[in-house]
Amino acid sequence: MKNSDGQLYTIEGFAAALIMIMTAYLVVNATSVYTAGDTHITDMQLEALGSDALKMMATPDNTTMYIGDNSSLRLILENNPPDGEKFKAIFLNLTNNRSGAMPDYYTKINSTMDYIQFYANYTCRDSNNNVNTTNTISYSRNLTGGEHTVRATKWVIVNKDICGNVVKQNRAVLVEVLLWRD
Amino acid sequence: MARLNDDAQWIILMGFLVSFSFFFLALVINQSTIVGQTTAESVIEFPKNDIRDVRQVIGQSIVIPYTGSSNFSTVRNDIEVLSINRKGSVVDFTNFTNGSATYIKIHYNNGVTEYNENWSYL
Repeated sequence: MKNSDGQLYTIEGFAAALIMIMTAYLVVNATSVYTAGDTHITDMQLEALGSDALKMMATPDNTTMYIGDNSSLRLILENNPPDGEKFKAIFLNLTNNRSGAMPDYYTKINSTMDYIQFYANYTCRDSNNNVNTTNTISYSRNLTGGEHTVRATKWVIVNKDICGNVVKQNRAVLVEVLLWRD
Repeated sequence: MARLNDDAQWIILMGFLVSFSFFFLALVINQSTIVGQTTAESVIEFPKNDIRDVRQVIGQSIVIPYTGSSNFSTVRNDIEVLSINRKGSVVDFTNFTNGSATYIKIHYNNGVTEYNENWSYL
């Protein structure tokens, strides 16, 4: 004899199955956007670090701020060609400074232990109002194109025969540094 | 006909409560990354360092150095051309003297933030 008990359970089971299938359908169909939510925070910190380092390098030793302005950054740039090794030494020292003892074999220049790398160049304007961006100052490592870099910039007024100029005169150049962690 | 069993309704209710609280906790965690990101983004977008830097170099461009001339018009051209080319920002400034006072008008606009300043010193 057929038993007609439990029909309501069967209907309930169908309803539950439908709900589960609908849920699975929605979940599978939903677009997932994976954003690394914290990269902006480290970018911001790196940019601030680079700006601060450049600002310290552009600060004169003496108090005649606007007149003498013998900042180390200016002196580096006024060399011909710019004193890249000095820039590298100061910049790496400022950005990779940290507390704690270093191993005996650790040296600042040509160090493989610094984890903030940079590529620095300066931009100047020539007499035709063209912008010349190919003046490399220094770099700690070659750019391969895969780095996630941020840019820090600093204005410097130099007294130099710059960008095709033949006479020494005051010119403003923009020092641009690409920084990345490695 | 099956008899509906209405036992254990409290357990089901508590199950709902727990699942909803999980849902809200997930929502809070989800939002927290967005908060950090937008904060950092707004810090990056606001050109505080750029404006301070350009103010400083404008000040330097006007003062006459110990040797030679300040070469003001050339330096001003440098700043304006390099700003629009490399920083994407319009920088425009003039200086003039009135009596013994020197005035500097600075205009800065990078499309997001605009900054104007009148500067004077004796």
